Amino acid sequence: MKKDLKKVRNIGISAHIDSGKTTLTERILYYTQRIHAIHEVRGKDGVGATMDSMELEKERGITIQSAATYCSWKDCDVNIIDTPGHVDFTIEVERALRVLDGAVLILCSVGGVQSQSITVNRQMTRYKVPRIAFINKCDRTGANPFRVMQQLRDKLDLNAVMIQLPIGLENDLQGMVDLVTMKAIYFDGDQGDDIRYEAIPFDMLEEAESRREELLDAVSMFSDELMEAMLEEADIPESMVHEAIRRGTLSLELTPVMIGSAYKNKGVQLLLDAVNAYLPCPTDVENTALDLDKDEAEIVVSNNPDDPLVALAFKLEDGRYGQLTYIRTYQGLIQKGDTIVNSRTGKKAKVGRLVRMHANEMEEIDGAGSGDIVALFGIDCASGDTFCGGGVNWSMSSMHVPAPVISLAIKPVDNKAQINMSKALNRFTKEDPTFKTFVDHETSETIISGMGELHLEVYVERMKREYNAEVEVGAPQVAYRETITQRAVFDYTHKKQTGGSGQYGRIGGFLEPLEEGEYEFVDNIVGGVIPREFISSCDKGFQKSLVKGILTGAPITGVKVTINDGSFHAVDSSDIAFQLAAIGGFKQGYSKAMPVIMEPIMKVAVEGPSEFQGAVMGSLNQRRGVIIGTFEEGAYTVVEAEMPLAEMFGYSTTLRSLTQGKAEFTMEFATYKQVPKGVAEELVKAFEAKKKDA
Amino acid sequence: MGYEPLVQQNPLRVLNMGRENNQMGLVMARAGLGKTALLVQIALDAILRGKRVIHVSIGESIEKTKTWYDDILQCILQEHTINRPHELIDMVARHRMIMTFKVAAFTRSRLEERLNDLILQDIFRPNCLIVDGLDFETTDREALEDIKNLMETMNMQAWFSAICHRGDTRISPTGVPAPCHELDDLFDMIILLKPERDATIQLDIIRNYGAQVEGGKGLLLDPTTMMVKEM
Repeated sequence: MKKDLKKVRNIGISAHIDSGKTTLTERILYYTQRIHAIHEVRGKDGVGATMDSMELEKERGITIQSAATYCSWKDCDVNIIDTPGHVDFTIEVERALRVLDGAVLILCSVGGVQSQSITVNRQMTRYKVPRIAFINKCDRTGANPFRVMQQLRDKLDLNAVMIQLPIGLENDLQGMVDLVTMKAIYFDGDQGDDIRYEAIPFDMLEEAESRREELLDAVSMFSDELMEAMLEEADIPESMVHEAIRRGTLSLELTPVMIGSAYKNKGVQLLLDAVNAYLPCPTDVENTALDLDKDEAEIVVSNNPDDPLVALAFKLEDGRYGQLTYIRTYQGLIQKGDTIVNSRTGKKAKVGRLVRMHANEMEEIDGAGSGDIVALFGIDCASGDTFCGGGVNWSMSSMHVPAPVISLAIKPVDNKAQINMSKALNRFTKEDPTFKTFVDHETSETIISGMGELHLEVYVERMKREYNAEVEVGAPQVAYRETITQRAVFDYTHKKQTGGSGQYGRIGGFLEPLEEGEYEFVDNIVGGVIPREFISSCDKGFQKSLVKGILTGAPITGVKVTINDGSFHAVDSSDIAFQLAAIGGFKQGYSKAMPVIMEPIMKVAVEGPSEFQGAVMGSLNQRRGVIIGTFEEGAYTVVEAEMPLAEMFGYSTTLRSLTQGKAEFTMEFATYKQVPKGVAEELVKAFEAKKKDA
Repeated sequence: MGYEPLVQQNPLRVLNMGRENNQMGLVMARAGLGKTALLVQIALDAILRGKRVIHVSIGESIEKTKTWYDDILQCILQEHTINRPHELIDMVARHRMIMTFKVAAFTRSRLEERLNDLILQDIFRPNCLIVDGLDFETTDREALEDIKNLMETMNMQAWFSAICHRGDTRISPTGVPAPCHELDDLFDMIILLKPERDATIQLDIIRNYGAQVEGGKGLLLDPTTMMVKEM
C-alpha cells in the first residue's frame, strides 16, 4: 500500500464564476481516461458535466459543492478538488484549500482578473498554496492573455511569468509555443487527443526568443546552476529550467502562466504536465496539527505512513448509502477494519467501506496512504473533525469560520415536509459551518442563517430537491447587533421579601464600550460586599442580558462590565437573586449608555463596461453605500463600495436591468457599522410594533 | 470636532496656503521621498475643512491608494488622542473617492465624464482633485492646460505630483526642475521635497500664488506622516 509520495498531487481548481473551471475539469478527466465522453456544462445532450453532480448545479451551470475526484496522469496520482466559484460559498473554497497542496488558478482571457479571483488568491496566500495560472478561453473574441498576465502582476501581486505563447488567438487559436522546450505544440483530432510537436513558426521566432529570455531571467533567481549556465552562455538543459520553475512555484515567489482553451481542447494536457512538474507533492508542504494533550501545541505532521494516522474530514455528503465523509490523510495509513478516534468527540469508529471518489461514481479500495484524499462510509462526524489512529490526540488547526450575516424564516408546508426539513437542516449544518439554524422561541419559527442571499437560496432549493421538503420562505433578515457608545453606571437592588423565602441582591458598577471583543467581565469587588460564590451569578446574569438588546432585540456585543459595589442578605441572597440583580443592573446601565444598532457592511465590487459606471455608482449611492473608488482599464471598470447588507436585497436584478446584464457583482462581509439615525428609528419602531402584536 | 492638532500640524496649514479654489499645485521630488504622502496630507487637510476630495491614482490599485490614507490616518491617531477615532475614519471615507486609471486611460475627457457622472447624480461633489502618478515626461502643455480649464469650470482645486530625476539637470529660471521646467507657469504653487541628513524631509516652496518665493521656506517634516516636525 505504500506508494511514492513524490508522485501524488492534491490540487484544487479555483477561479471566478464562468471562467470555465468545470469545463476544464471535465477535459482533465477525459484525458486521464476517467471518463470516456465529454459532456458540456450546459450541453445539449442533457447529461451535464461529470463534476456537477447536484441537479441544481446542472440547472444553473455553476458548481456549488467541491467534489473530490481522483485520476492519474503519466506516473502521478492526481486528486482534484473542484471548488465553487461564487463568493457566497467561500467557506467551501477555504475548506478545500486547507487540504490542497497546490492549485490551478483559472482566469478568463477576456474577463481577466475579476474580484472573485482576488478573493480566492487572497485565500490561497493565507493557506500558502503554491499555484499555476491557466488563462482559459483563449478562443473567445477579445482574448488577450498578455493583458491578463499583467493583471496577475498588478492586481494579485504575483510574480507571473509566461511559460507558453499562443499561436493565433480568438477563432484562430491553433496551439502554443512552449518556452521551455522551444517547440510549437498543436492538438489534433476531434477531442485534441493527438499532440503534435513542430518547430516554432518562423514569424513567431523572435517573440518566442525574447519571451524565453524573460522567463529565464525570472526563474534564474531560484537556481544557481541555471544562473551560472546563463552567465557562461552554455546550453541550458530543459530539466534545469523545469527545476527552477518548480522551486520558484513552491516558494510562492513565482507563478508560471499557461494558456489554452479547455472548450476547444487546447493546452489541457500541457497543464497536466505542469501540475506534475511544478506543483508540490504532500511532502513538499508543511502542515501543522495541534496536540490536544499538550495544550494545543503546534506540531508538524510527518507524512510518514509508519506513524499513527492523522486525517481531516473536510467534507460530508449525504449519498444514497448514508453519510459519505471525505478525508485527507496527513500521516499514517488508513485501512479497512482500522479503528480510528475522532479527536473532537473522543468517539471511536471502525473503518468500514473506503472509496476513492470520482464525482458521482466510486471505486472501492482497501486502504490509503498518507497524503491521499479518500472517502469513508458510515462514519458519524462533522466537517472539520480530525481522526487519529493509536496513540495521538491531535487536531488539525481549526478553520477560520465567519459568523453568518443574514437569516431567513422558513416554514414547512405540511407534516411530511416538516420531518424532511429537519433531516435536511441537520445534514446541512454538519456539512457547512457557515450555515446555522435555530428555532426562535418567541415566534416558534425555524430560522436559517448564512453568508448571503444566494447561499441560503441554494439550501432552500436543495431542501426541496434532495429532501422533498417544500418550505415557505420569509423575507430575509439582516443580523443586526447592538452596542453601547459611552460609559454608564448602574446601581440596582433586586428585592423580593414578602413572605416565604425571599430574594435579595444589590449590585453596582458600570458599563463601558469595548473596542475589540464581544464581552468582558471585571470583578472589582472588595471587602466581600458580594460574596465570592455569587460573583459568577452576576457574570451569568450579564451574559443573559446580552442575548437580546432593548432597541431591536438584536444581540449585544462590545460591552465591558465592571462591578465594584453591592450588598447581600445572609438568608435571602441566592444565585438566582444575583442573576436577576445583574439583569436589572445591566438594563439600567444600558439605557444610559447611549445604545446604538450596528449592521453588517459588505464589501461590494461591481464589474462591467465603463459606459455603465455612472448608473452603477448611482444605484450604489441610492442604497446608502459609500463608494471607495473606481478602477478603470480600457473599456472595463470596477466600482468598489461598502454597502449595508440590508440594502442589497434584490440588487442583482436591479444591476441586470441597469446594465443590460453586462455587469456583475460580488459581495463579501467586511465589518459591522452603526446604523444611521433615521434607519435606526425605523428599526426600533418596527421592533416595537412587532412586540405589541405578539 | 477635536481635530485641531491635526489641522495645525499640517504642513499646508502652517504655510497658510492651499485654501483658494481654482488653483493648481504641484509637488515635486525624487522617487521615494513622499510625494504621495504629502498629497494624502493635502487631501486630509481639505477633508478636515469639510471639502470633498477625488484622489486620482494612475497605475495604482484602489487597495494601495486606500492603504495610504489608512496608514497615515493611523499614524496621526497614534500621535494625537482623538475622541471617537471611528468617526474620523468614517468621515474621511465619506469625503474621499478614489479613481484609479490605467496609464493610457487617463485623459481630460474621461475625467470630465466621470466627474459629471458624480455631480449630475449628486453622488459626490468634489472640491479638490488629487492626481498622483501622472507622467510629466509624456504630458504636453496642451493636456495640462486642458485640465486647468476643466478645474476652472468646475471650480475645483487640483494637486499633482511629479518625479524629478537626479541625472536630469534641466531647470527653469525660477528653479523648477525637469520634467516640469517648461510648465511652471501653469501652477499657482510648486513644492519641492528634499531629503535631509537626519532622516527628515525638507519642504521648499518655489512658487506661491504665482509669485516666486525667494529661497523658499525650509520646513522639516516627519517622513512617515509628512507632519511638521518642529516649528
